[in-house]
Amino acid sequence: MEKFKVIFQPSGSRGQVEEGKTVREAAQELGVDIESVCGGKKTCGKCKVQIQEGSFEKFNIESEADHLSPIMEDEKRKLKDTEVKDNYRLSCTAEIKGDILVFVPEESRAGGQVVRKAAGDIDVTIDPIIKNYYVELVPPVLEEAEGDLERLLKQLEKSHDLKDISIDYLVLKGLPDIIREGKWKVTATIRDDKEIIKVFPGFADKKVGLAVDIGTTSVVGYLTDLETGEVISIDSMMNPQVSYGEDVMARITYAMTNDDGLKKMNSSIVDGLNKIIVNVTKKVDLTPEDILEFVIVGNTCMHHIFLNINPEPVGLSPFPPAFHHSIDVKSRDLGIRGSPGSYIHVLPIEAGFVGADNMGVVVAVAPEKQDQILLIIDIGTNGEIVLGNSKKLVSTSCATGPAFEGAQIKHGMRAAPGAIERVKISSFAKEVKFKVIGETEWHNKTQKIKARGICGSGIIEAVAEMFKSGVIKKNGTFNKELDTKRIRKNDKDMLEFVLAWKDETSIGKDISVTLGDIRAIQLAKGALYTGCKILMKHHGIDKVDKVILAGAFGSFIDKEASMLLGMFPDCQLDKVEAIGNAAGDGARIALINKKLRKEADKTAREIKYIELTVDPEFQTAFMQSMYFPHMKDDFPHIQDVLDKIPK
Amino acid sequence: MSTKEELLKGLKEGVIEFDEDTTVKCAEEWIKEGHNASEGIFDGLAAGMEVVGDLFAKSEYFVPEVLMCADALYAGLDLLKPHVKGGEDESKMKGEAVIGTVEGDVHDIGKNIVKLMFEVAGFTVHDLGKDVPLDQFVEEQMRTDSDLVCLSAMMTTTMVGMKKVISNMREKNPNVKILLGGAPVTGDIADKWGADGYGDDASNALTEAINMVSSLKELRKSGEL
Repeated sequence: MEKFKVIFQPSGSRGQVEEGKTVREAAQELGVDIESVCGGKKTCGKCKVQIQEGSFEKFNIESEADHLSPIMEDEKRKLKDTEVKDNYRLSCTAEIKGDILVFVPEESRAGGQVVRKAAGDIDVTIDPIIKNYYVELVPPVLEEAEGDLERLLKQLEKSHDLKDISIDYLVLKGLPDIIREGKWKVTATIRDDKEIIKVFPGFADKKVGLAVDIGTTSVVGYLTDLETGEVISIDSMMNPQVSYGEDVMARITYAMTNDDGLKKMNSSIVDGLNKIIVNVTKKVDLTPEDILEFVIVGNTCMHHIFLNINPEPVGLSPFPPAFHHSIDVKSRDLGIRGSPGSYIHVLPIEAGFVGADNMGVVVAVAPEKQDQILLIIDIGTNGEIVLGNSKKLVSTSCATGPAFEGAQIKHGMRAAPGAIERVKISSFAKEVKFKVIGETEWHNKTQKIKARGICGSGIIEAVAEMFKSGVIKKNGTFNKELDTKRIRKNDKDMLEFVLAWKDETSIGKDISVTLGDIRAIQLAKGALYTGCKILMKHHGIDKVDKVILAGAFGSFIDKEASMLLGMFPDCQLDKVEAIGNAAGDGARIALINKKLRKEADKTAREIKYIELTVDPEFQTAFMQSMYFPHMKDDFPHIQDVLDKIPK
Repeated sequence: MSTKEELLKGLKEGVIEFDEDTTVKCAEEWIKEGHNASEGIFDGLAAGMEVVGDLFAKSEYFVPEVLMCADALYAGLDLLKPHVKGGEDESKMKGEAVIGTVEGDVHDIGKNIVKLMFEVAGFTVHDLGKDVPLDQFVEEQMRTDSDLVCLSAMMTTTMVGMKKVISNMREKNPNVKILLGGAPVTGDIADKWGADGYGDDASNALTEAINMVSSLKELRKSGEL
């Protein structure tokens, strides 16, 4: 029987599957959870998946919809017409006849991801770019029968001193009806005191906007009350572009190597965002048309694809973006659902890889207004670092790779129920305690949820604990003199340390951390530390006052563990602060304060970007940074912990 | 004063223990004593680097250790090389390789490790550096008549450029062996694009380089190259 290559996204699971097996069977073989209420009886329609067509260099696969058995009539009945057109199939029915790349949509995924992008509290003056102005018009009479618009504009000038106001064409189209509906009393929503983007009949004080953080892996929308600045509802999803590539480079490559690559990825994020818009408004009994203003942040690649701009140059040295400045686009021009006259404001880009998402972080933290030296680290698939204070700011980007997110780790998984997220290892017996997502207590035999894998924060803590307890040495290798059955060689002849024994897991085998995993962490953390050090050199300082960890990930890792690994230079532990999804916070701030948008444009151009790889000390710095916590640098603030490591 | 054997051992151990001071001290004494420079390089420094390669393959050593060993090796090499007499070092394997990181890519740590191992193995390496225009690989191969062209890329975006180099290279000179390396490169891709070999990722570059060199030796022996 012939075998074909099957790849599942967003999990990235891949393997060879025998011809004739269903997609659902393939998913089971490769450990991918697909929702199935009816158990594969073709009745529930919950297991729908989308077949991605095209050539994917990153995965070396040519995937076509006709690499599956032809669609059946009863299958068609479970799918919408548009879904059939978009190559959706029921995974319990479609049989594999060739290489395929399968995208498992959010709703078909069993066991939801833990949303780690909650909204933080922000403290900003509420002064949004859009304001509502209530006016009472004098109805026309034969002696004075001026047009509706001119009548409105005159009254706006008279009552609110607003001059030179324009109006959106679509708003203008509906104006006569609205004015009459409101019995000559209307509320005009004016953007930046320049353009009427909405007119409500009568008095209206309701104003909502949407702040969106388009991450490489996940997208979050924060529906915000523009009067109070409060987040009134949140919705998130995995970035549907994941099926075109897990990281930004793979997506840029997809745009480079497929004629309609950019278009496809653009439509997938636009569709995804529109879903978020529907969900986030429905939760509070609003409609997409109630959204009057949008702010979007995202890394440079996400930014370009969202704006339908070719990201190719961003993927090649010297990585220039198409433009740096912030931009205002009508939401309808991008196909985004909102009030017809609404605008989307996209934050500026600092440098190639330091994008609008990092600008969001800078807006939220405001290092340019502080005296103390801040080291701001946004950890994702790429690490972006900003260092400095009101006097000088420098930034860089370093390729940490996806190891911190649990990818490229043997038992790595996303942060979902069953993922090991906390680990403790005793220094004498090297015994392990762990905690999985979904349970509140440390693991014990009575718990319902067993371990399935290790998530990003779990791998950090596991490796840190292995170092702290003397299981591994400063250079990452195992201490082979230890007498514990947890250290052993696996079937690939690689040393590993067992975290959870088979009977503690739900996958039928032990869960371990391999030397390969440790090496991946060493490369990732080495890249991050090197970035920090080279920025410090350029800034002319040898210590920082405060370390700020942005990104959802930063909130879930143990501070001591991250310093023990040497993810960043020494700092007083209580001066290490995790601030959650600061990129999203920055988007919300820009949504409710127009002055800060202007400042962001200025700050973006003042932060000096430092390219790490051209620094003559890069290689040496990187090499030294791969040790735990560092080959040479001192860590006075955790010296007591380092001293206690068993030799 | 040390014996010749002690000095050779010092050169070798200095590389393995990444002890630059030792390789420098031994190399200085080696020259002072009038020993054969070429012998010091191959039986001392290069022999040490071969052990490093083994340690790396066994995961005892990782990128930092290899880079430090390389520093120790180069420190000794800088002293010994000027004393190598013409024709003397021809006893080892001959071969020339063009190496570089492809256009648009500025990552070269992996490439530097591969280069080092090739040099240790006796290759003459023409290093084009990083962000190398695609045509330059072909031009340099033609100019030097090298047996090998080694392409490195750390990003998926730049990896695509390798495809073009391979097809241009094949057109001009079908016999050249082409090796790919770098994080995004897989065996599948190397096969599909018609390369002769590949290095799994930056951290495996060293192991791969050793494998490549030994397979080249085989080819040499069987007269295919």
